[in-house]
Amino acid sequence: MRKIETASAVLIHRRAYRDSSLLLDFYTKEHGRVRLVGRGIRKSKTSIQMFQRLNISFSGKGELKTLTQWEIDDSPREIKGGTLILCIYINELISVLVHDNDPHPELFDIYIDFINVIASLNNNQQLWLLRLFESNMLSELGYGLDYRIDLNGNEIDENKNYEYRQHLGFDEKVDGKISGKLLGSLVSSDLESLPDEGMLKVCRNLNRERLNLLLGNKKIRSRELFFVS
Amino acid sequence: MIESLNKAFCILPGVGSKTANRFVYHLLERDRDGGMKLAKALIDAMENVKHCQSCRALSEKELCNICSNTVRDSSQLCIVETPTDIHAIEQSGAYKGKYFVLSGYLSPIDGIGASELGLNELEEKLKDSTINEIILATNATVEGEVTAHYISNMARQFNIQITRIAHGIPIGGELEYADINTIAHALSGRKKYD
Ligand SMILES: [Zn+2]
Repeated sequence: MRKIETASAVLIHRRAYRDSSLLLDFYTKEHGRVRLVGRGIRKSKTSIQMFQRLNISFSGKGELKTLTQWEIDDSPREIKGGTLILCIYINELISVLVHDNDPHPELFDIYIDFINVIASLNNNQQLWLLRLFESNMLSELGYGLDYRIDLNGNEIDENKNYEYRQHLGFDEKVDGKISGKLLGSLVSSDLESLPDEGMLKVCRNLNRERLNLLLGNKKIRSRELFFVS
Repeated sequence: MIESLNKAFCILPGVGSKTANRFVYHLLERDRDGGMKLAKALIDAMENVKHCQSCRALSEKELCNICSNTVRDSSQLCIVETPTDIHAIEQSGAYKGKYFVLSGYLSPIDGIGASELGLNELEEKLKDSTINEIILATNATVEGEVTAHYISNMARQFNIQITRIAHGIPIGGELEYADINTIAHALSGRKKYD
């Protein structure tokens, strides 16, 4: 018997498949990443789009399941230009780092928050939200760091500076690049506590180093293509 | 031989083994002449049709009919995803400028970047020519929008007007039957009525 499942989902990637079908990569709340064939879907007038919450049903066994039904479960949002590029970048992160059938319901909600808010922010706020997304994504995937306690067991002090030690955490250092204040903002994951531009860059480099470790020799191509900072 | 012919037909879009079988038997049993013509036409086309050096559309010559047509307006360049988009626009008769075919859209996850779409050639084209408007006619999809955004960033360094084709309610269409994304887009892209 073929199993039918329904799920809350977002589309993260699609490509043409055979004549009139699409190969669709969804990120679902309950099932993690799911790859489905949308048979004949290219011919339908309304095409299935990214950056909106969908309800999807699918059936089938094995590697390639079939999308049986879908509907939009969201209001339309207009994501354009540079903002669209940031959203493409997080889609690629999900596509590369989240595995099939490995659900992270919290990460799904973080993703939805991201696409809900991103278009209403200015440049630096957008970058900060992006850094928070990366940081929260790493935690959700089990690669979180303790932003509260340093490697000597002391509480992170927002007036002190720190260095990042790969895989381990943060070490207090007078001339460390990372401010305790930044780490505090990462704990609260608060969009309001926007770091200054210098600290945003420090945070970008920190996240990039951590993501690169996880990526190994895989690449995030939208970084190169669009200079996502 | 019969089997390999069947397999060969199966590469066509929409053709499965069953349909391929019908083709095979039709040609072998009823129309060998037609089959020979088909074979010859295929070889001719495969060997001689290339991409236009200027717009990347399919062409038998270095320059396709549109690019070599001096009557067409070379100050306008319409950028499309596929050659079939050219065909669609040409059928409308609403455009007299020239084209550039990307043969796809930017898709970082699939490793399709600027060079795969000939965007370096496009940049060269924008540098030294009479073009004063580019019309971004990529699809109204996220991928089409990302591609349009990339090209507009690239073109901004030249003194060129950048336009995007309008998206909205189809002519003759009723609002009631349009999907919410189309309606939202049509509203945000509304124009002054006069
Ligand atoms: Zn041409």
